[in-house]
Amino acid sequence: MEEDYYMSGDSEEEEDYYSPDRDEESLDGLENDDTGAQWNPSKAFSSKVITKESLLAAQREDLRRVMDLLSVREHHARTLLIHYRWDVEKLIAVYVEKGKPCLFAAAGVTVVERLDPESSSTLMCIICMDDIPAEDVTKMDCGHSFCNHCWTEHFVIKIKEGQSKRIRCMAHKCNAICDEAIIRKLVSLRHPDLAEKFDRFLLESYIEDNKMVKWCPSVPHCGNAIRVENDEYCEVECSCGLQFCFSCLSETHSPCSCLMWELWTKKCRDESETVNWMTVHTKPCPKCHKPVEKNGGCNLVSCICGQPFCWLCGGATGRDHTWSHIANHSCGRYKEDTEKNAERAKRDLYRYMHYHNRYKAHTDSFKQESRLKETIKEKVSSLEARDSNLRDFSWVMNGLYRLFRSRRALSYSYPFAFYMFGDELFKDEMTNCKREIKQHLFEDQQQQLESNVEKLSKFLEEPFDEYTEEQVMQIRMQVLNLSVITDNLCKKMYECIENDLLGSLQFTIHPIAPYQSKGIEKAEELSVGWTQAPYNEKCQKAADQFKGRVI
Amino acid sequence: MVDFARVQKELQECNRDFEVSGIRVVPKSEANLAHLLGTIPGPLGTPYEGGTFKIDINLTDGYPFEPPKMKFVTKVWHPNISSQSGAICLDILKDQWSPALTLKTALLSIQALLSAPEPDDPQDAVVAQQYLREHHTFLGTARYWTEAFAMTSSLDVEEKVKKLVEMGFPETLVRSALDSVGGDENLALEKLCSG
Repeated sequence: MEEDYYMSGDSEEEEDYYSPDRDEESLDGLENDDTGAQWNPSKAFSSKVITKESLLAAQREDLRRVMDLLSVREHHARTLLIHYRWDVEKLIAVYVEKGKPCLFAAAGVTVVERLDPESSSTLMCIICMDDIPAEDVTKMDCGHSFCNHCWTEHFVIKIKEGQSKRIRCMAHKCNAICDEAIIRKLVSLRHPDLAEKFDRFLLESYIEDNKMVKWCPSVPHCGNAIRVENDEYCEVECSCGLQFCFSCLSETHSPCSCLMWELWTKKCRDESETVNWMTVHTKPCPKCHKPVEKNGGCNLVSCICGQPFCWLCGGATGRDHTWSHIANHSCGRYKEDTEKNAERAKRDLYRYMHYHNRYKAHTDSFKQESRLKETIKEKVSSLEARDSNLRDFSWVMNGLYRLFRSRRALSYSYPFAFYMFGDELFKDEMTNCKREIKQHLFEDQQQQLESNVEKLSKFLEEPFDEYTEEQVMQIRMQVLNLSVITDNLCKKMYECIENDLLGSLQFTIHPIAPYQSKGIEKAEELSVGWTQAPYNEKCQKAADQFKGRVI
Repeated sequence: MVDFARVQKELQECNRDFEVSGIRVVPKSEANLAHLLGTIPGPLGTPYEGGTFKIDINLTDGYPFEPPKMKFVTKVWHPNISSQSGAICLDILKDQWSPALTLKTALLSIQALLSAPEPDDPQDAVVAQQYLREHHTFLGTARYWTEAFAMTSSLDVEEKVKKLVEMGFPETLVRSALDSVGGDENLALEKLCSG
């Protein structure tokens, strides 16, 4: 099966080659329908940028749906949505399955019939234990009344505690969430700054409590959030230009899974490898515990503190040493265990170094090549200045972007391989034999990609602005060819990883962001259909409505 | 600021039906209503029966919108009360607090906690383990601690009275002072000195 896969990959590759003896005429046509070489951001946006301005609009869509569906007021819809983490589908599912009362009760929404207004002119507030004129008493949806002063104190404390999203009624064991319009009205009378904070909390809940929306991790923060539509395992580009993995918010790292990437960065940061080296090459002095390195010679070692010890077992000894014996010491037999541990540490270290060196080499190349962009632009403009038949030089930039894209994929494929075929994550997932087969399959693909990426890089670095028209055509051909090839190879490598490698795991799931041939998707700005004014107006209206009812 | 008007009313109401509830709350000093001492009788039919348990009450500035801070002064052997510090693990003293609750209702809840321990949500893991695995030993220890720490024998009281009278306070005043602070000699002295 895997053999077949590889074979078919090979043959496709042959087909994709533009043989240099193809017609000159056909080349112009090719440029336009050649998806690999064209560098246009994808048209079907699956992610959106939410700015400070469009946050209200974004929330509003979901609020509307719930308000219409359940015919509830805005604050009830918000309470429900916060409870269900802004997952409208989930909310609807619960509604269909368990019905309205259950849905409402779980979220703390109480909609009661209006009771007759209290007849007496004063009421006793059980919080401050004072008699309060009826106009200074407010009744919540759940039917509990307290004086405005006590309500305000309660709200202020809860907002300061950061609980704006779920401020419950003051009555003991009452689970009802307070009406946001009342909170806003009462708090703003005495603490306008806190009322603002409250509003901000409610707004930002749409980002904080929502699985499909996340703040852009840019530093300093650009103020934007990104909403994805379908899959949270994807890589996006914010309108501020930062590209990141939506799932773990670190730099884009496919085809590494988020867990692999986390482990890898930690490993690179840690000094654990240094520690490993020390285990292999040094022993702690039995007296001062400093690590001592043996610089050749016999097994009687002495530390700078003066303590002599036996290199084989690490035990303290006397100073005299003969060919058969160390004074005051005999560590007896060769200890297999310690020797084995040292061997393993050594092997692990070399393995890590192998993968790390290659990962590093490709990221370094990537950095070098990023600088290429400027020189290439110069080359293109000097070519354009020439009076020749060649007019379209988009292939240069497209080739360069292809190089960037595949170089990244290539560099991240090394940490992937380190974990995929190592003991740390998938020790029990496959037999050694199977692992070996898979590793060969993967490494073959990786190798092919690597050699083509290097070729592409070589051609792009050539001083083609000094070449003759004929030679430029040659380069162009090569760049176009190699662009298609590397794109296909990347695609295949991702497929192999997703299907044959990660897909076959039984105990764990390692989702990765899919390969996007056209590069990391730029999130689209969310269109703002309405502004802040109607929202505030509405709040005001709700508050007025309330005032009319209660007092 | 603590709502002292409410605290005053609470104290009056609580001490009014002391005869029925057996629960008392008094200020540690007349000057500061934010620091109080509560006493609850051990519930009947439990190893705490017959004991009088003192609880230290501190009111934060947010009271009654924030829960009062309560901990046992009297040592007590109970899964939800730290045998070391007297800290109490009770939901209404934390996130389930409601401003509609009062010091008296909080103390009543603590009293209820004494009759119905919740070993699955322990404050003191050692006690909780014993409660679950060696219930008999638990009952014995709890009873012993009640007798040792929560019961002031009449002899004790007489000794304290004598001591305070020797300091120069009139006997009637000494007795009422001791009574109002739940038998604590030092608090009674403080009370006598302050007026």
